[in-house]
Amino acid sequence: MKNYGEKYGHFEMNQISGQWRRWLAPIIILIVALSIPAMGSALWLKVFTSVAIYTITALGISLLYRRLGQVSLAHVALMGCGGWVTLRLSHAFHLPFEFQLFAGGVFTAIVGMVLAYPALRMRGLYLALVTLMAAGGFSILIGIIQFPNGGDGFAGYAITAITHMERPYLAQSDEAFFVYCIMIAVLAYALVYAHEHAKPGRAWALIRRSEASAMAAGINVTFYKVWGFALSGFLAGIAGGLLAGSLQFLDARSFPVGESVMIFALTVVGGAWHWFGAIIAALLFRLMPALLNDWGVSGDAAFIFFGAALMHALATAPKGIAGQIAGLASRLMKSGDRHD
Amino acid sequence: MISIDKLTVKFGGVTALDAVCVDLHATVCGIIGPNGAGKTTFLNVMSGFNTPVEGSITVFNQPLLKMRPHERARWGLRRSFQQEQVADELTVFENVAVILDALRIDRADRHAMIDAALEFVHLSDLRNHKTENLSSLERRMTEIARCIVGQPRIVMLDEPGAGFSQTEVERLRDVLIGIYDFSGAMTLLIDHDVDLIRATCVETMVLDFGSLVINGKTEDVLEDERVRRVYLGVEELE
Repeated sequence: MKNYGEKYGHFEMNQISGQWRRWLAPIIILIVALSIPAMGSALWLKVFTSVAIYTITALGISLLYRRLGQVSLAHVALMGCGGWVTLRLSHAFHLPFEFQLFAGGVFTAIVGMVLAYPALRMRGLYLALVTLMAAGGFSILIGIIQFPNGGDGFAGYAITAITHMERPYLAQSDEAFFVYCIMIAVLAYALVYAHEHAKPGRAWALIRRSEASAMAAGINVTFYKVWGFALSGFLAGIAGGLLAGSLQFLDARSFPVGESVMIFALTVVGGAWHWFGAIIAALLFRLMPALLNDWGVSGDAAFIFFGAALMHALATAPKGIAGQIAGLASRLMKSGDRHD
Repeated sequence: MISIDKLTVKFGGVTALDAVCVDLHATVCGIIGPNGAGKTTFLNVMSGFNTPVEGSITVFNQPLLKMRPHERARWGLRRSFQQEQVADELTVFENVAVILDALRIDRADRHAMIDAALEFVHLSDLRNHKTENLSSLERRMTEIARCIVGQPRIVMLDEPGAGFSQTEVERLRDVLIGIYDFSGAMTLLIDHDVDLIRATCVETMVLDFGSLVINGKTEDVLEDERVRRVYLGVEELE
């Protein structure tokens, strides 16, 4: 009997250690992220704030890609939508930042739902082209109406008078706003996790398997596809609002179509199938050009790396860099367990 | 009971089902016929994936064709596909749970229903395993568990035995025979394995080129001269 007890006890310990291992990497990443302000560099703090914000966008893109198999090349444009609404509300009503951020997210979720309409009838390359055209349309539109900067009228834009947007009460400084962005990113992860491990996640998984099997399982395919686009749009809108808060104004030239394509490509490179793939995508997107600039190389050289990385991901690492890291970590842990 | 009246399906110039009229009463009904006979098209019409140009289907006194595909599933019309359709990233439990998500069922009842269905198909031990690591038979059984969980009224299985060894087909057969006792649902079974049809189906209907050849007791149907001619490939029987 004693042997059984020991065996059972050992099993329990393994279970517990397995649970810990699951949370170990997120906790380490969070601690590292939160210690970044201690570096004391204003430039790098801005870069990492941007990384935190684009992580949320990449999270939305990977959700669509992983769960619904849909390609969106409009997510930076969607960030622009969220940013516009957040700025407009801020200059018009001076409401708490969180409220404006949420409103920007909701508005972008609605735009995402509109984008879902073509997704009900097409997928793959055709849908990607439609989203690309939507991003192009946004780029032209925002070039005309510009981002609100405290001016009059519906657009709220003035050439001369530039008013900066107010930041959250608790995050006025750059350091505090960085931590604020990290916390919102954690909440975004929690939101996606909650969806993926509940009814919508199961529905999306079956829709990705095949729409016929989903319908045969009683799933309203239209509803859940629209929901997926809405959630992904919501995340992009929140990211756009945070970007507005970070810079305290937005420039219409900051949302070109190419950026939408690039963030999607890097989400695939980073790894849409792993939770930290979105972080890798954002690091590649924002940190790598900054690092290259710091080393005296043009940040545009990153494009060459991105192209090579995309080819590598498509040819040899379908689960992206995150998949490779996770595979390596898993092999190392198994090897460690054997030695125990 | 399923009552089909003048059911006609056309794909362009091809008539996949040609004014099929049949009443199905038995607890397990087989549907057989050569490739291209219209068997899967018939299930697709039942599921709502293909729209007939003419005809009606009444299931337990309800007009089926008025319901949207996912509403049919919620009503109790379940099906499996020729190529099994389980989601790799979900566990066995989640793959079965997905069909109850659309129904308002108490959490405790829901767990009990899923556990009962998994026990019925002998997958209780694999409850929390991801289906990507399962064998073909286990994946097929997961799909069958999804079909029978809760309160199904009609379970349609499209060639569930295809590609399995004799031993595996026997395990499958035992499960198929028990579906009615387990769930009370009527089963429609498409398969090319005549032995499986003989062992499981009370009644069988035969389709050929979209037309109904015969419907009746399985042993009578399988011995019928017309069936032997169209299905078993005998050209002329003098």
